Amino acid sequence: MRILNAVLRTVRNSGRLATGLVILAVMVLLALLSPLIVQWIGGGTDPIEVAAYEKWLVPSGDHVLGTDQFGRDVLAMVLSALSVSLQIGAIAGVISTVVGVVVAFVAGYKGGWIDNVLSTFTGILLVIPTFPLLIALSAYAKNVSLFQVGVMISIFSWPFAAKTIRSQVLSLRSRPYVDLARVSKARDLEIITTELLPNLLPFIGVGFASSALGAIFGLVGLEVIGLGPGGVIDLGQIIFNAINTGALTLGAWPMFVVPIVLLTLLFAALNMINIGLEEVYNPRLRGVAGE
Amino acid sequence: MSTEKVIELREVQQRFHARGTPDGYLTAVADASFRLDAEPPQVVSLVGQSGSGKSTIARNVLGLQKPTAGTITYGGKDIFKLNRTEYDEYRRNVQPVFQDPYSIFNPFYRVDRVLWKAVKKFSLASTREAGEALIEESLQAVSLDPGRVLGRYPHQLSGGQRQRIMLARIHMLRPAFVIADEPVSMLDAQIRKLFLDILLDFQREHGMTTLFITHDLSTVYYLGGQVMVITKGEIVERGPVAEVMHTPSHPYTRLLLDSIPQPDPDARWTTRITVNESAATPPTDTATEATPII
Repeated sequence: MRILNAVLRTVRNSGRLATGLVILAVMVLLALLSPLIVQWIGGGTDPIEVAAYEKWLVPSGDHVLGTDQFGRDVLAMVLSALSVSLQIGAIAGVISTVVGVVVAFVAGYKGGWIDNVLSTFTGILLVIPTFPLLIALSAYAKNVSLFQVGVMISIFSWPFAAKTIRSQVLSLRSRPYVDLARVSKARDLEIITTELLPNLLPFIGVGFASSALGAIFGLVGLEVIGLGPGGVIDLGQIIFNAINTGALTLGAWPMFVVPIVLLTLLFAALNMINIGLEEVYNPRLRGVAGE
Repeated sequence: MSTEKVIELREVQQRFHARGTPDGYLTAVADASFRLDAEPPQVVSLVGQSGSGKSTIARNVLGLQKPTAGTITYGGKDIFKLNRTEYDEYRRNVQPVFQDPYSIFNPFYRVDRVLWKAVKKFSLASTREAGEALIEESLQAVSLDPGRVLGRYPHQLSGGQRQRIMLARIHMLRPAFVIADEPVSMLDAQIRKLFLDILLDFQREHGMTTLFITHDLSTVYYLGGQVMVITKGEIVERGPVAEVMHTPSHPYTRLLLDSIPQPDPDARWTTRITVNESAATPPTDTATEATPII
């Protein structure tokens, strides 16, 4: 309840954060409802089946965004692709946040050689150029599940979260309230979860948002140049199809424009959440949590 | 439990890694040996300037920082090698009051939590009602109105109120030893006196021995008891307060005595005091030693 109140207060204080959250919520809602909407568009048949309709239909009342080279309804495809993109963002975001938080807390709280080893490893992963490695990885991953793609991408996105959170742990662990907890017989794990973690929620939020963003766009980048792992149709795959088949010259512009607009909106929303969170929890303005 | 309640430091030395110093180390505590007895209850003050190593000693005694060399014993046993029951006994009997009443509270929680945590961790009460009664009694013992502080967040209370909540915590735990690390340096004059009086009451009524760490000789004078003077990590003089104050034997003690401002317009300082700044300054102490008026 207290956390909910704190969240509400935070959101009310930042227009950016609120806007970002609203846009994101609408997109998540669309993604969640996409199976129903797709069913409704199909009206009994599957609109994403190959040759469900005539190919290259221009936008009309029946097919708001037209059909593609295989006669699939573009609106239905875009909606399910949005759902896939968001799921990948969520999977990669959760994995890299969890890994990042664990690494950051172990390194920051324990210090010493453990910190040295973990920080060096994190640093190495941070400077490795991700994109070529992802291309190489996806060459081995032809028919992979959505979850596997998420895992693959999160390998490279946790170090950022780990780095930022570790520095915060370093500054928080020497606070007197941590000492007080220690003389009150609190164990390390208890101190981490009850004293430090709540004060780091905003940073964890930022870490999650940027990891999710990185994952979604990493995959789109791969798909657009045609190197994405097969078996997963996300927004990038649709853009790739549009480019590949010259959809724009055939008048099927929605196939190209709509995914890009959606991605742009998603990018804007997640970034607004990021900036909004940082704005609210800026060290100089902090008063709700942190210091 | 019949362990003798004695804290003893033997040749405690604490060094920190520090870049830019000639040998790569910074010695916060060079050689500290002293003994604190629970019987009879007493106040022992540890006086020294910023960076003299006094806060580091407090952290050592509280078991928050393992000294580089030397031993700290409680009841004759090394405090870093205690078994479960000995550790519980030691924790129960050696409790701190820290300097900064602002950062001692986790800003995320209400202030009640600090008191409840003490109740639960040290099994002070078996029922919720008993715990509530204990908390209220302790708050009243430090002249706080429970209705006005319970349920509040730390930033809604004044520094003096927060520091007295820490005293209420001590009142609940009734440790044999209170390690007070500059507890009044961030309080204003009136609250400071109230705080010191409560501490003296605790000594008389509940038999607590206090290690009172400060840079301010006037509070030492007010508290009485024993005093130890520390400079550059070494204890240079010790004895009853009156004796040390009237016949200081070490030049540093004389310097400290000369540094007490007199609230007398006719006795204004005419000479300047030079402080040797080249002495190594430990990192634990310097950043938090300012004394703003609240």
